Amino acid sequence: MTGPAIDLQQVALTLGQTRILYDIDLHVPAGSIHALIGPNGAGKSSLIKTLMGQMPHRGSLTLTWPDKPGVIGYVPQALEFDRTLPMTVDDFMGVMTQRRPAFFGLSSRNTGAIDDALTRVGMQDKRKRCMGALSGGERQRIMLAQALIPAPALLVLDEPMAALDEAGVAVFEDLLAYWRKQHVTVLWVEHDLDAVRRLADRVTGLNHRVIFDGPPAEMLSAGQLLTLFSAHPRRREASGETGGAATLSRVAA
Amino acid sequence: MIFDSIRVLLQGWAEQGLLPQMFTYGFVVNAFMAGLIIGPLLGGLGTLVVVKRFAFFSEAVGHAAMTGVAIGILVGEPYTGPYGSLFGFCLLFGVLLNYLRNRTGLASDTLIGVFLSISLALGGSLLLLLSGRINIHILENVLFGSVLTVNAQDLTVLSVIGLLTAGLALFHYNHLILSSFNAQLAAVRKVRTILMDYLFVMLVTLVTVAAVKVIGAILVGALLVIPAATARILAHSMRGFFWLSILIAIVSTLAGILLPIQFALPVPSGAAIILVAGSVFILSALARGFVPALKGTTA
Repeated sequence: MTGPAIDLQQVALTLGQTRILYDIDLHVPAGSIHALIGPNGAGKSSLIKTLMGQMPHRGSLTLTWPDKPGVIGYVPQALEFDRTLPMTVDDFMGVMTQRRPAFFGLSSRNTGAIDDALTRVGMQDKRKRCMGALSGGERQRIMLAQALIPAPALLVLDEPMAALDEAGVAVFEDLLAYWRKQHVTVLWVEHDLDAVRRLADRVTGLNHRVIFDGPPAEMLSAGQLLTLFSAHPRRREASGETGGAATLSRVAA
Repeated sequence: MIFDSIRVLLQGWAEQGLLPQMFTYGFVVNAFMAGLIIGPLLGGLGTLVVVKRFAFFSEAVGHAAMTGVAIGILVGEPYTGPYGSLFGFCLLFGVLLNYLRNRTGLASDTLIGVFLSISLALGGSLLLLLSGRINIHILENVLFGSVLTVNAQDLTVLSVIGLLTAGLALFHYNHLILSSFNAQLAAVRKVRTILMDYLFVMLVTLVTVAAVKVIGAILVGALLVIPAATARILAHSMRGFFWLSILIAIVSTLAGILLPIQFALPVPSGAAIILVAGSVFILSALARGFVPALKGTTA
């Protein structure tokens, strides 16, 4: 199933007295892998929360589905849970994917899909291990596995590679290739610029506002990155400058 | 009534020598049935309390029950079962606390600390006010539990609330857990986090009110926490965690009710139940230290 196109127009977000996002215009084509990069505190996670309807924003946000609305999957940066909790990988997958209480075991309807998902991320042999006993990279693989059930049409990934080891990165790259083949729309927040260059169709540089947007090969130049990681939108606003266009034209000049 | 029939049946068995002698007393059978209902309810819901880190909240709701009792007697409810005020005040306490947690962004423990202090101050003041009107020692039954006062009406209230909370908790069990893991993850899986929090607050309040007769307002929160905490020490999966918690809660409740009667100990049922549960917890903690297999793989 082909994923939706995402369109943000003049999306702005203010929390308390702090403006987090300034007039974001962004288009993510249907079925593309779209990376979102930027320094810490640039508003990437806030943009994702906004996209999921978790933030009171201004502006318009549209998902255009090719057919009827499909499944949205999400891979969070971290889970807030007690590491000493007696919750196995199977229990966790049960909590995520079924109504039947996890302590009754996996429902037969879901077992096949959970088997497939855990095999795909290479965690089939660790399904009886407690979640708290897994390494950060293994837990991240489980996060990827849960996002496969039910099969998503739109996937939002919040720094999925942060804790992955080399084998985990290979698993992630396989999954991205699989999603690309399935025409799943992937919005992917990432710090690893090399991975973005290799794997994304488009990249948006965000530092409270859109600094650049385009194909990685063109956008990830040293000059653009310097602008992105040294941009001070609030300071520019105070001095009367506006938006990423001004920044880009300055770089081009 | 079904409870009367069961009581008569059990009393008959006791008279024939099939059950211990104490079961010939109607109040013992009533207390036994109450324990059989409240034990699994508290043990099961307790696993959610521990997973969601609501232990302090449960304690606070239990303590708020004391103020609810005082308000109930003040407004003319019977001191043996001031259910209206008890439920009303505990619910107000829980819902307001949850509302302010969402609105102010303050940490839960900070808000609970504030609410608990205010509630206790109010409860203490009202109880002192009441001391001129009634014999304040009567309240000990409500505050610390008394098997002697459990009647058929209490058993009916207990079973209705038990069925309601067990049904809701089981139906939403996974969603209640998921909502505490990650708000965005819950949102994409169509779990309404805020609604789940309010539902949970209501479940804890209902169970607290239902358990007041047996365990008492002061200690009811403890039985929501101790069996689940014990099970968490011993279990290596959700299955073990849940069923062990229920087993420990049932054993503690029944032992706490029956042992003081059997040995004629002048201990209130609530205190006895918590002492048994606390002993099981300490033994389990020690066992985990000495038995390597119990350490498992939980980090």
